[in-house]
Amino acid sequence: MLILTRKIEEEIKIGSDVTIKVLSISEGQVKLGISAPGNVAIFRSEIYEKVKMVTIEASESCTEKPKDLSKLKIRKISDEDERS
Amino acid sequence: MKIKTQLFGEIEFKEDLIIKFVPGPIGFEQLNKFLLIKADDDIFYWLNSIEKPEIAFPLVGIRIIDDAFPEERNFEPFGIVTLNSDVLKITVNLKAPVYINQISKTGFQKILDTDKYPIRYNLFKE
Repeated sequence: MLILTRKIEEEIKIGSDVTIKVLSISEGQVKLGISAPGNVAIFRSEIYEKVKMVTIEASESCTEKPKDLSKLKIRKISDEDERS
Repeated sequence: MKIKTQLFGEIEFKEDLIIKFVPGPIGFEQLNKFLLIKADDDIFYWLNSIEKPEIAFPLVGIRIIDDAFPEERNFEPFGIVTLNSDVLKITVNLKAPVYINQISKTGFQKILDTDKYPIRYNLFKE
């Protein structure tokens, strides 16, 4: 792993078109600004890992399909709103 | 073209039905070609990989769950479903929807920058 030290307002370039800028630093938190072309996907790593895990589970669940779904109702987002 | 799927056995299709994902779904970025299959007896769609036909993702159209779901111009939002033999444990990933344009035959997955939509949303209620 390459380790670089940067100050507020300083930047790092990854390749020619991705720039990461340190915007602010406060207790245990760094705020970063990222400029990248639209086709570059940017994710918070822990969310990416969670989504990846669920996607793998989903792909493995294909054969688990229950037979009779006719009696069930779709749970709508608006149902939740009514309850709260 | 022909592929051997896990769910529907061998299926034959015309190349112009291929939906391109560049990159592929999260965790499967190397998979770029899919078929969107709809069995007519229920609400599920299947996004079946052409490069690795043994891999398929169950999908559900998110419009049936939420009218106000974030839109992408000309694309239809789908949620990847984790099936379960216990129907009340079936969940949909609403945090990272798959958007598909069935005309231009392109698709992409996006992670929404909001906490409104959970990764595991229970699809059915009694």
